Amino acid sequence: MEPLSSYIILSAALLGIGIYGLVSKRNAIRLLFSVELIVNAANINFVAFARYSNPPMLMGWNIVFFSIAAAAMEATVGLALILVAFRLNGTIDVRRLNRLRG
Amino acid sequence: MPDIAFLALSSLVIVSAIFALEARELVYGAVGLAFSLMGVAGLFILLGAEYLAMFQVSVYVGAVVVLILFTIMLVGRESGRIVEEEEPGRLGRAGIIVAGLIALAVAGAIILLVPVSPQAPELHPVALQELGLYLASSYSIALVILGLLIGATVVGALTLVRVERDEKPDGATQ
Repeated sequence: MEPLSSYIILSAALLGIGIYGLVSKRNAIRLLFSVELIVNAANINFVAFARYSNPPMLMGWNIVFFSIAAAAMEATVGLALILVAFRLNGTIDVRRLNRLRG
Repeated sequence: MPDIAFLALSSLVIVSAIFALEARELVYGAVGLAFSLMGVAGLFILLGAEYLAMFQVSVYVGAVVVLILFTIMLVGRESGRIVEEEEPGRLGRAGIIVAGLIALAVAGAIILLVPVSPQAPELHPVALQELGLYLASSYSIALVILGLLIGATVVGALTLVRVERDEKPDGATQ
Protein backbone atom coordinates (compact mmCIF):
# COMPACT_ATOMS: atom_id res chain seq x y z
CA MET A 1 0.00 0.00 0.00
CA GLU A 2 1.32 3.42 -0.90
CA PRO A 3 1.88 6.05 1.78
CA LEU A 4 -0.67 8.82 1.91
CA SER A 5 1.80 11.43 0.65
CA SER A 6 2.03 9.84 -2.79
CA TYR A 7 -1.70 10.33 -3.29
CA ILE A 8 -1.38 13.93 -2.11
CA ILE A 9 1.46 14.60 -4.55
CA LEU A 10 -0.53 13.04 -7.39
CA SER A 11 -3.56 15.15 -6.64
CA ALA A 12 -1.42 18.29 -6.35
CA ALA A 13 0.06 17.52 -9.77
CA LEU A 14 -3.42 17.11 -11.21
CA LEU A 15 -4.44 20.40 -9.60
CA GLY A 16 -1.39 22.06 -11.14
CA ILE A 17 -2.25 20.76 -14.61
CA GLY A 18 -5.81 22.03 -14.20
CA ILE A 19 -4.69 25.50 -13.10
CA TYR A 20 -2.21 25.64 -15.99
CA GLY A 21 -5.09 24.92 -18.37
CA LEU A 22 -7.30 27.56 -16.77
CA VAL A 23 -4.60 30.21 -17.05
CA SER A 24 -3.21 29.51 -20.50
CA LYS A 25 -6.00 28.08 -22.67
CA ARG A 26 -8.39 30.18 -24.75
CA ASN A 27 -10.90 27.54 -25.79
CA ALA A 28 -13.91 27.46 -23.47
CA ILE A 29 -14.22 23.67 -23.76
CA ARG A 30 -10.62 23.26 -22.65
CA LEU A 31 -11.36 25.44 -19.64
CA LEU A 32 -14.12 22.97 -18.81
CA PHE A 33 -11.58 20.12 -19.09
CA SER A 34 -9.38 21.97 -16.60
CA VAL A 35 -12.24 22.39 -14.13
CA GLU A 36 -13.00 18.69 -14.33
CA LEU A 37 -9.35 17.86 -13.64
CA ILE A 38 -9.31 20.12 -10.58
CA VAL A 39 -12.51 18.54 -9.23
CA ASN A 40 -10.95 15.10 -9.70
CA ALA A 41 -7.85 16.17 -7.79
CA ALA A 42 -10.08 17.15 -4.88
CA ASN A 43 -11.94 13.83 -5.10
CA ILE A 44 -8.70 11.82 -4.93
CA ASN A 45 -7.79 13.72 -1.77
CA PHE A 46 -11.18 13.00 -0.21
CA VAL A 47 -11.01 9.27 -0.91
CA ALA A 48 -7.37 8.96 0.20
CA PHE A 49 -7.84 10.83 3.47
CA ALA A 50 -10.97 8.83 4.29
CA ARG A 51 -9.09 5.60 3.64
CA TYR A 52 -5.96 6.52 5.59
CA SER A 53 -7.55 7.85 8.75
CA ASN A 54 -7.54 5.38 11.62
CA PRO A 55 -10.09 3.79 11.75
CA PRO A 56 -11.07 4.37 8.09
CA MET A 57 -13.82 6.96 7.85
CA LEU A 58 -15.48 5.35 4.90
CA MET A 59 -18.47 7.63 5.13
CA GLY A 60 -16.17 10.32 3.77
CA TRP A 61 -16.54 8.54 0.45
CA ASN A 62 -20.14 9.68 0.30
CA ILE A 63 -18.89 13.26 -0.01
CA VAL A 64 -17.22 12.21 -3.26
CA PHE A 65 -20.52 10.71 -4.37
CA PHE A 66 -22.12 14.15 -4.05
CA SER A 67 -19.09 15.85 -5.56
CA ILE A 68 -19.19 13.70 -8.71
CA ALA A 69 -22.90 14.38 -9.14
CA ALA A 70 -22.40 18.13 -8.68
CA ALA A 71 -19.50 18.15 -11.15
CA ALA A 72 -21.66 16.42 -13.75
CA MET A 73 -24.33 19.08 -13.34
CA GLU A 74 -21.73 21.82 -13.58
CA ALA A 75 -20.50 20.34 -16.85
CA THR A 76 -24.07 20.22 -18.18
CA VAL A 77 -24.76 23.87 -17.48
CA GLY A 78 -21.30 24.89 -18.64
CA LEU A 79 -21.73 23.17 -21.99
CA ALA A 80 -25.17 24.74 -22.42
CA LEU A 81 -23.61 28.15 -21.75
CA ILE A 82 -20.84 27.44 -24.25
CA LEU A 83 -23.44 26.52 -26.88
CA VAL A 84 -25.40 29.75 -26.24
CA ALA A 85 -22.20 31.82 -26.35
CA PHE A 86 -21.28 30.16 -29.64
CA ARG A 87 -24.67 30.94 -31.15
CA LEU A 88 -24.61 34.54 -30.00
CA ASN A 89 -20.99 35.35 -30.80
CA GLY A 90 -19.87 32.75 -33.30
CA THR A 91 -16.82 31.94 -31.19
CA ILE A 92 -15.90 30.14 -27.98
CA ASP A 93 -12.56 31.87 -27.68
CA VAL A 94 -12.74 33.29 -24.17
CA ARG A 95 -10.41 36.18 -25.03
CA ARG A 96 -12.93 37.42 -27.55
CA LEU A 97 -16.01 36.99 -25.37
CA ASN A 98 -15.45 40.41 -23.84
CA ARG A 99 -18.71 42.19 -24.63
CA LEU A 100 -19.32 42.87 -20.93
CA ARG A 101 -15.98 44.60 -20.49
CA GLY A 102 -16.43 48.18 -19.33
CA MET B 1 7.83 -0.03 -1.79
CA PRO B 2 6.40 1.47 -4.92
CA ASP B 3 3.28 -0.25 -6.05
CA ILE B 4 3.28 -1.08 -9.78
CA ALA B 5 -0.45 -0.51 -10.11
CA PHE B 6 -0.24 2.87 -8.40
CA LEU B 7 2.65 3.97 -10.59
CA ALA B 8 0.92 2.86 -13.76
CA LEU B 9 -2.39 4.48 -12.85
CA SER B 10 -0.87 7.75 -11.70
CA SER B 11 1.26 8.10 -14.81
CA LEU B 12 -1.85 7.34 -16.91
CA VAL B 13 -3.76 10.06 -15.07
CA ILE B 14 -1.03 12.69 -15.42
CA VAL B 15 -0.02 11.93 -19.00
CA SER B 16 -3.55 11.81 -20.36
CA ALA B 17 -4.50 14.97 -18.43
CA ILE B 18 -1.63 16.81 -20.12
CA PHE B 19 -2.65 15.28 -23.46
CA ALA B 20 -6.24 16.46 -22.91
CA LEU B 21 -5.07 20.04 -22.63
CA GLU B 22 -2.35 19.97 -25.27
CA ALA B 23 -3.79 17.81 -28.07
CA ARG B 24 -4.20 19.82 -31.27
CA GLU B 25 -7.61 18.31 -32.03
CA LEU B 26 -10.20 18.95 -29.36
CA VAL B 27 -11.83 15.55 -29.96
CA TYR B 28 -8.59 13.76 -29.08
CA GLY B 29 -8.38 15.99 -26.03
CA ALA B 30 -11.80 14.76 -24.92
CA VAL B 31 -10.63 11.16 -25.33
CA GLY B 32 -7.56 11.99 -23.26
CA LEU B 33 -9.81 13.42 -20.56
CA ALA B 34 -11.81 10.17 -20.59
CA PHE B 35 -8.63 8.16 -20.05
CA SER B 36 -7.54 10.44 -17.23
CA LEU B 37 -10.91 10.06 -15.49
CA MET B 38 -10.75 6.29 -15.89
CA GLY B 39 -7.30 6.36 -14.29
CA VAL B 40 -8.83 8.20 -11.34
CA ALA B 41 -11.48 5.46 -11.14
CA GLY B 42 -8.65 2.92 -11.00
CA LEU B 43 -7.10 4.84 -8.11
CA PHE B 44 -10.44 4.65 -6.32
CA ILE B 45 -10.36 0.87 -6.73
CA LEU B 46 -6.82 0.81 -5.30
CA LEU B 47 -8.13 2.72 -2.29
CA GLY B 48 -10.94 0.20 -1.85
CA ALA B 49 -13.83 2.37 -3.04
CA GLU B 50 -15.18 0.18 -5.82
CA TYR B 51 -18.63 1.70 -5.85
CA LEU B 52 -17.15 5.17 -6.29
CA ALA B 53 -15.10 3.84 -9.19
CA MET B 54 -18.26 2.52 -10.83
CA PHE B 55 -19.99 5.81 -10.22
CA GLN B 56 -17.03 7.72 -11.62
CA VAL B 57 -16.90 5.65 -14.80
CA SER B 58 -20.64 5.78 -15.43
CA VAL B 59 -21.10 9.47 -14.66
CA TYR B 60 -17.85 11.01 -15.90
CA VAL B 61 -16.81 8.78 -18.76
CA GLY B 62 -20.33 7.74 -19.67
CA ALA B 63 -22.11 11.06 -19.38
CA VAL B 64 -19.82 14.07 -19.09
CA VAL B 65 -17.30 13.12 -21.75
CA VAL B 66 -20.04 12.11 -24.18
CA LEU B 67 -21.73 15.44 -23.52
CA ILE B 68 -18.44 17.23 -24.22
CA LEU B 69 -18.03 15.25 -27.46
CA PHE B 70 -21.52 16.28 -28.57
CA THR B 71 -20.76 19.91 -27.81
CA ILE B 72 -17.51 19.73 -29.78
CA MET B 73 -19.43 18.35 -32.74
CA LEU B 74 -22.07 21.08 -32.46
CA VAL B 75 -19.51 23.85 -32.20
CA GLY B 76 -17.61 22.20 -35.03
CA ARG B 77 -14.83 23.77 -36.99
CA GLU B 78 -14.54 26.76 -34.67
CA SER B 79 -12.84 24.66 -32.00
CA GLY B 80 -10.00 23.81 -34.38
CA ARG B 81 -9.45 27.42 -35.38
CA ILE B 82 -8.78 28.51 -31.81
CA VAL B 83 -6.12 25.84 -31.49
CA GLU B 84 -4.30 27.27 -34.48
CA GLU B 85 -4.46 30.78 -33.08
CA GLU B 86 -3.39 29.72 -29.63
CA GLU B 87 0.04 31.17 -28.97
CA PRO B 88 2.03 28.92 -26.64
CA GLY B 89 4.55 31.61 -25.71
CA ARG B 90 4.06 34.09 -22.89
CA LEU B 91 0.66 32.83 -21.69
CA GLY B 92 1.79 29.21 -21.54
CA ARG B 93 4.90 30.04 -19.58
CA ALA B 94 2.96 32.19 -17.12
CA GLY B 95 0.44 29.36 -16.73
CA ILE B 96 3.15 26.81 -16.00
CA ILE B 97 4.78 29.05 -13.40
CA VAL B 98 1.50 29.90 -11.64
CA ALA B 99 0.28 26.30 -11.65
CA GLY B 100 3.58 24.92 -10.44
CA LEU B 101 3.75 27.40 -7.57
CA ILE B 102 0.19 26.69 -6.45
CA ALA B 103 0.59 22.91 -6.69
CA LEU B 104 3.87 23.03 -4.75
CA ALA B 105 2.33 25.21 -2.06
CA VAL B 106 -0.72 22.95 -1.68
CA ALA B 107 1.26 19.71 -1.57
CA GLY B 108 3.84 21.15 0.80
CA ALA B 109 1.22 22.54 3.14
CA ILE B 110 -0.72 19.28 3.29
CA ILE B 111 2.39 17.14 3.79
CA LEU B 112 3.67 19.45 6.51
CA LEU B 113 0.32 19.59 8.28
CA VAL B 114 -0.31 15.84 8.19
CA PRO B 115 2.20 14.68 10.86
CA VAL B 116 3.85 11.62 9.29
CA SER B 117 2.59 10.06 6.10
CA PRO B 118 0.61 7.28 7.81
CA GLN B 119 0.21 3.76 6.53
CA ALA B 120 -3.29 2.68 5.70
CA PRO B 121 -5.05 0.84 8.52
CA GLU B 122 -6.67 -2.52 7.97
CA LEU B 123 -9.75 -2.17 5.82
CA HIS B 124 -12.66 -4.38 6.69
CA PRO B 125 -14.76 -5.15 3.66
CA VAL B 126 -17.53 -2.61 3.57
CA ALA B 127 -21.02 -3.76 2.89
CA LEU B 128 -22.56 -1.66 0.16
CA GLN B 129 -25.84 -1.86 2.06
CA GLU B 130 -24.23 -0.13 5.01
CA LEU B 131 -23.06 2.78 2.90
CA GLY B 132 -26.46 2.95 1.23
CA LEU B 133 -28.25 2.98 4.55
CA TYR B 134 -25.96 5.73 5.76
CA LEU B 135 -26.60 7.69 2.59
CA ALA B 136 -30.35 7.29 2.95
CA SER B 137 -30.51 8.09 6.67
CA SER B 138 -27.84 10.60 7.70
CA TYR B 139 -27.51 12.18 4.29
CA SER B 140 -31.16 11.95 3.29
CA ILE B 141 -31.66 15.72 3.16
CA ALA B 142 -28.52 16.15 1.06
CA LEU B 143 -29.78 13.40 -1.23
CA VAL B 144 -33.14 15.15 -1.70
CA ILE B 145 -31.38 18.45 -2.36
CA LEU B 146 -29.17 16.68 -4.89
CA GLY B 147 -32.26 15.43 -6.69
CA LEU B 148 -33.78 18.91 -6.76
CA LEU B 149 -30.47 20.29 -8.01
CA ILE B 150 -30.38 17.76 -10.83
CA GLY B 151 -33.91 18.71 -11.83
CA ALA B 152 -33.09 22.42 -11.73
CA THR B 153 -29.95 21.81 -13.77
CA VAL B 154 -31.79 19.92 -16.48
CA VAL B 155 -34.49 22.58 -16.70
CA GLY B 156 -31.89 25.34 -16.69
CA ALA B 157 -29.76 23.78 -19.41
CA LEU B 158 -32.83 23.11 -21.57
CA THR B 159 -34.02 26.68 -21.14
CA LEU B 160 -30.60 28.10 -21.96
CA VAL B 161 -30.36 26.16 -25.17
CA ARG B 162 -34.02 26.39 -26.16
CA VAL B 163 -34.66 30.15 -25.96
CA GLU B 164 -32.24 30.78 -28.78
CA ARG B 165 -33.70 28.00 -30.88
CA ASP B 166 -37.23 29.43 -30.52
CA GLU B 167 -36.15 32.89 -31.55
CA LYS B 168 -34.39 31.82 -34.70
CA PRO B 169 -37.37 30.49 -36.70
CA ASP B 170 -39.36 33.62 -35.75
CA GLY B 171 -36.56 35.85 -36.96
CA ALA B 172 -36.33 33.82 -40.13
CA THR B 173 -40.04 34.11 -40.95
CA GLN B 174 -40.38 37.79 -40.19
